[in-house]
Amino acid sequence: MKVIIADDHPVVRQGLRQMLAVEQDLTVVGEARNGQEVVELSRRVPWEVAVLDYNMPGKNGLELIKELRQRYPGRAVLILSMYPEDRYAVRALKAGAAGYLTKESAPEELVSAIRKVAGGGRYVTPTLGEKLALELEDNRGKPLHETLSDREYQVMWMIASGKTVRQIADELFLSPNTVSTHRTRILRKMNMKSNAELMHYAIAHHLVD
Amino acid sequence: MSDAATATLQPSPEMTDAAAFAAVEPLAEAAPQAKILLVDDEPKSLFALQELLSGLGQNLMIAQSGEEALRLALKNDFAVILLDVRMPGIDGFETARLIRGRERSRLTPIIFLTAEADQMNQVFRGYEVGAVDYLQKPVIPEILKSKVSVFVDLHRKSERLKESEDKLRRLAAHLISVREEERAHIAREIHDELGQVLTGLKMEVTWLAKRLREKPLIEKTDSMCKLIDTTVQTVRKIATGLRPEMLDDMGLIAAVGWQAKEFQKRTGIRCRTKLPPEVKLDIDVSTTMFRIFQEILTNVARHSRATRVDMELAIAEDKVALEVIDNGVGIADSDLNGKKSLGLLGMHERALLFGGEVKITGTPGHGTRVSVSIPLRQRS
Repeated sequence: MKVIIADDHPVVRQGLRQMLAVEQDLTVVGEARNGQEVVELSRRVPWEVAVLDYNMPGKNGLELIKELRQRYPGRAVLILSMYPEDRYAVRALKAGAAGYLTKESAPEELVSAIRKVAGGGRYVTPTLGEKLALELEDNRGKPLHETLSDREYQVMWMIASGKTVRQIADELFLSPNTVSTHRTRILRKMNMKSNAELMHYAIAHHLVD
Repeated sequence: MSDAATATLQPSPEMTDAAAFAAVEPLAEAAPQAKILLVDDEPKSLFALQELLSGLGQNLMIAQSGEEALRLALKNDFAVILLDVRMPGIDGFETARLIRGRERSRLTPIIFLTAEADQMNQVFRGYEVGAVDYLQKPVIPEILKSKVSVFVDLHRKSERLKESEDKLRRLAAHLISVREEERAHIAREIHDELGQVLTGLKMEVTWLAKRLREKPLIEKTDSMCKLIDTTVQTVRKIATGLRPEMLDDMGLIAAVGWQAKEFQKRTGIRCRTKLPPEVKLDIDVSTTMFRIFQEILTNVARHSRATRVDMELAIAEDKVALEVIDNGVGIADSDLNGKKSLGLLGMHERALLFGGEVKITGTPGHGTRVSVSIPLRQRS
């Protein structure tokens, strides 16, 4: 598979080259340092997959994806970005990218992503997949935490952040009794039995960090 | 600048207030001459007044009639006007009334001069139209000089105050924009340079790991990789904290939406957003709006005890408007202008820089509402 790589940082390009060099079926056919060079390179050499940094000098990531997709509809653009998925991945995929990886991803992940998109597939990381699935679910019905009142939501958040009833009571200027009542109601509304369950839910739904 | 320094009896060339402000430069620091207007229909009296006051070293202007005095008062800010009461045409009182009637000279001090024996009713007439003093001819030189000096001094002080107010405002504006630039710069450096080097480093370590066969060594490279990942995350957090990159590459609307989500995630205070479809806005206006929004949220988290925030961002042809309402304790009027409200002052100043405004109203027990509006110069 012929791959072009683009990143404005020599260290990253070098790392990528090394990483891909050990794979028998992958060949790096060209490198570019910015959007303009990507466009020129894409004309000059035959390629199947372009691995691009999301923001290089010159053209912004989305524009570049769109341009490449328009000129070479059959080929794949894979984004390798410094930015976390939750902010950029969906936009990149919508613009026509075949996949979005952050630079923290394990090298094996990148290699398997390249193979997958070269075959015309799309590559979505498990985390992103989960997020997209949650969005679908959220669209179908109200997620459980939306059934809580504002105050209950706040108390739920505090429990999920690991605070005790006492701490919550102090911070919210409420009596511990009131907080306990809130907690009982929250658990009932969300159909849960313990704080641990609540924490798990909050983390899965990105309600807490 | 040369105009301000020219000392003549002629009115200096027209200079609007705005132009005068714009022209205030450190050069003007040396106390400029104050302008004093002498009005008398008799050339001899004018000459005498000029002689008397020339020792003060100020810019003396003369007028031989009420009309001429009015014309000069339209174009100049006088420290004080000496006005003869009895003149053909418009007399001194009428002239004073007209001068005081105009915005620019509304507060200009006037000293009436009269040759007549002191008539109390005249004195009162004079004070009615806004005179501040009254002198009888022939004037006693020392008294005239000392009275005029007092007004010159007063005028100079208020000018200086106005100037320093203006300078402070411009300094604040400068600091805001410098800080913003610096933050953006540091964020970019940290994120791009440091972040990319770390990425490269990780790739090198991974390359190394693939060639290792001994378990303890592989464990070492694994932990190195994890360390690098954490560092990358920290770098990203610092960079985003300094200046969210989304503001630059996705624009205000996406950035505000992201900030609202972050806020909810960080504080547990529900934040409902109503956002318009994404459009590209002027980056400086976007930054201003974004920073004001952040400041509002900081205040909500710190002081409001709210459990909910509702925000709406609206974009019209000519302005961008933000409204943030919380359900907390409500800001007290005393807090709006208190010494501790520097954050609020900062919001006002930021908005003012772009001709916008911030309105804050609190209802005790029913939350606080902040409305921000900033005009858009031109859609780009």
